[in-house]
Amino acid sequence: MTNLLLALAPESLLVLAALVVLGLGVSVPKARSLITAATLLGGFAAAAAILLLPVDGNFLHGMVVVDPVARMFKLVILGLGLVAVVFASDSFPEIHFAESLALILFGTVGMMLLTGTEDLLMIFIALELASIPLYILAAFAKEGRSSAEAGLKYFLIGSLSAAFLLYGLSLIYGVTGSTNLPIISNHSGIPDPLLIAGIVLTLAGFAFKVAAVPFQLWAPDVYEGAPTAVASLVASGSKVAGVFILAKILAIGLGPWAGSAGWGQFLPGWVPVLALMAAASVILGNLAALVQSNVKRLLAYSAIAHGGYLLIGLCSTGEDSLTAVLFYVVIYALTTAGAFGTVVIVEKQRGGSSLEDFDGLAKSSPVLALCLLVFLISLAGIPPFVGFFGKFYLFTAALANPALLWLVILAIAMNAVSLYYYLIVLKHAFVLPAKEDLRPANAPASRFLVAALALSVLALGLAPNLLLAPLAKNMPPQISARKVFLQ
Amino acid sequence: MNPDHLLLTIFLAVAIVFPLIPLAMAWAWARLFSPAKPGNDKQSSYECGIESAGPAHVQFQSHYYLYALVFLVFDVETVFLMPFAAAFLNLPFSAFLALMVFLLLLVEGLVWAWAKGILAWK
Repeated sequence: MTNLLLALAPESLLVLAALVVLGLGVSVPKARSLITAATLLGGFAAAAAILLLPVDGNFLHGMVVVDPVARMFKLVILGLGLVAVVFASDSFPEIHFAESLALILFGTVGMMLLTGTEDLLMIFIALELASIPLYILAAFAKEGRSSAEAGLKYFLIGSLSAAFLLYGLSLIYGVTGSTNLPIISNHSGIPDPLLIAGIVLTLAGFAFKVAAVPFQLWAPDVYEGAPTAVASLVASGSKVAGVFILAKILAIGLGPWAGSAGWGQFLPGWVPVLALMAAASVILGNLAALVQSNVKRLLAYSAIAHGGYLLIGLCSTGEDSLTAVLFYVVIYALTTAGAFGTVVIVEKQRGGSSLEDFDGLAKSSPVLALCLLVFLISLAGIPPFVGFFGKFYLFTAALANPALLWLVILAIAMNAVSLYYYLIVLKHAFVLPAKEDLRPANAPASRFLVAALALSVLALGLAPNLLLAPLAKNMPPQISARKVFLQ
Repeated sequence: MNPDHLLLTIFLAVAIVFPLIPLAMAWAWARLFSPAKPGNDKQSSYECGIESAGPAHVQFQSHYYLYALVFLVFDVETVFLMPFAAAFLNLPFSAFLALMVFLLLLVEGLVWAWAKGILAWK
């Protein structure tokens, strides 16, 4: 009991902080800096709890599972949540300010719970706890049409995906008789048609969450319409949590029914489904991003493409493929959060986020433009930034099955395409002159944070082992070596 | 043929035929026995009720919806408090603590709504 309370201390502290922030919003609604400080303080307390109270173990039959990797991801997600809080504190309007920060905290709690469980029921509840605050936040600028549209689309499509997921999970439970992932994987043997239906529905539900084709339609509208600070959380924290739990479900729970998508070695299972979605995401994401005129929309299509790269890593049975996937999703989240931070500041300065609004950014705020360069070049996967190493590890890990070469070649070819649209943004920022002279926006905290994120992208690029080594060392054996049954 | 499939096929056939029988009987009854007497009354939406007045898409205060949400706080609270109260004497202290946390979360929601002026009818 005490250990359980200690294991859940970070989440409890965050909920407590959110309640305090809500109270502050009612009693002193005008004190923006006080509310922000209380939110960040709660976040730091939770981070301290993660670092100083390392209670590892399995509680309530797998409902709450804490291990070193889960703690690492809780820390990463908490950090991304706080990044969104800082961006929100610089860009959100006065009205309902405290409520928006409290909602970010609640969403972060959901994502953190999602990383620390091995039970289907808990996974679903945590997923909803992470999603519902994001639905509300996406519609938070309710005076604007596009934000209301983003919120409604996100909510409707999110609920639909939750229904898919719930149906899939219930079928898996019905066939295997358990909601616990390790017990589910013991139910080996010839896959039941019902189980296959359950697995496919579960995959569809998660494909919505990571915005993989053909379930990607919500992403561009939500990224464009939602307040940019919220879009940064949807693109970073939500993605990390979604990919982490998808990897966990596939590796621990559904490992026996993997199948294979190798060229000429097709075996039925979830890997072929995943491989097709990955190929479609990589192609559609990168090609559709070419014609975007809004940077947030462009980042959304780039997110779809990156979701595809991540799914390729999940298709591989290689020993370190999951380490590579988790490494890649963390560095992708850091980079994309930074890119959205740049958009937050540019939006504050110029009032929009179209490509033209980035004209002459290098003149008016050179440091910010440099940071944008770091983020976009890293997303494109060019050394010395960390995006290159992430892709390198991901694709070498995927090639542990040489038959997956077709997928990797496709991804690399499409990655070359992606360089074009990232460079278009940089052309607007560095080459084209600004139409009017604008003074830099006053957003010191966001500026500082964007610079810090750019530095971390650079530092991890120079020393990727800082993150990769602890990840590889702590990966639980049952995750890293997936049970493979070839019938 | 797999016996399971045979069973399924029979089940499917019965499932399709079963609702068709009463429909066919009703149709046959109407064709063979009932006299045809069309009239305005038969066209009305509620044959045995009063005539509906005005359009169905009436606008109503969105406040009702907020009230309903806040009412749900009490409603859900009761649903959880009842079994808790029934088993109160046999429960450990931690259960009491857990329910107090639950109450705190709901009460904070109510207090927040109150302080925001949602309960005042405008």
